[in-house]
Amino acid sequence: MPLIGALPQPITSAPLVILIYAVLVLMLASALASVFLRSTVFATGAFAATMVLVALLYLTIAPFLLFAVQLLVFTTVSSALLVGLLRRTTGLESTQEPFSREWIVGAAVAAAVLALLVVIVATTSWPVRPTVNAAAGFGATLANTYVVGLAVLVVILASAALGGGLLLAAPTLARPRGR
Amino acid sequence: MTVGLNLVLAASAALFAVGAFAVVARRSAVMMLIGTQFMFMAGSIAFVAFARFGLGAVNATGGAAVVIFAAATAVAELAFGMAMAALIYREHRSLAIDADRG
Repeated sequence: MPLIGALPQPITSAPLVILIYAVLVLMLASALASVFLRSTVFATGAFAATMVLVALLYLTIAPFLLFAVQLLVFTTVSSALLVGLLRRTTGLESTQEPFSREWIVGAAVAAAVLALLVVIVATTSWPVRPTVNAAAGFGATLANTYVVGLAVLVVILASAALGGGLLLAAPTLARPRGR
Repeated sequence: MTVGLNLVLAASAALFAVGAFAVVARRSAVMMLIGTQFMFMAGSIAFVAFARFGLGAVNATGGAAVVIFAAATAVAELAFGMAMAALIYREHRSLAIDADRG
């Protein structure tokens, strides 16, 4: 194994840089639209668009397998779950929430979190180390280095599926007393 | 104009803030679930950025592997939250998380 590899470099290719900027802007715009849209259906659509744009971001800076998994598995499953929830509940109804005190509190919390993260990112000098073993495939890394993690992942997903199914199949809970 | 670690991290921080806003400000269980998904995605993007731009990249694919686990955990959380939201709706005919306050 080589002791010294190549230092990581920023992306300088003009078309790729423009693509990444466009993807990041569209990703944040669709995320904001998802949060601010009053219609739950439209918000879910914007959420799915955000997931697709995250997959496009992965296509530019991550292994292709991650792009494929994000697009085909996580985007599809998340959107299907949300659509399934809407079909079982409110359907196409809009959730008309007036602007309230929660919106102000939420904006303040989000602004504080964003300011904290931006200060950390801007002021920290991240150590850059040579990239070694970069030729190892992503699939090989998953299968060799993270075997235990994959097994735990299977257990987590199976537990979530089982728990979700049991909750949905359970009879209606008794109403609280006094109602 | 280049794309480096700080740009992707800033976008990740912005996405995390959007998710935090959704969790704090919205009363709908669906919107809160979407907010948590945004926060998971923001963390995943940060992992990918650190892996791509070489910080501690002894194994350059390690960050992407973590993203697989984080995203799967997010989907599991979404499935569980969806079931809980469905139960709330079944009881109160509303997806508002404070519907049981009367």
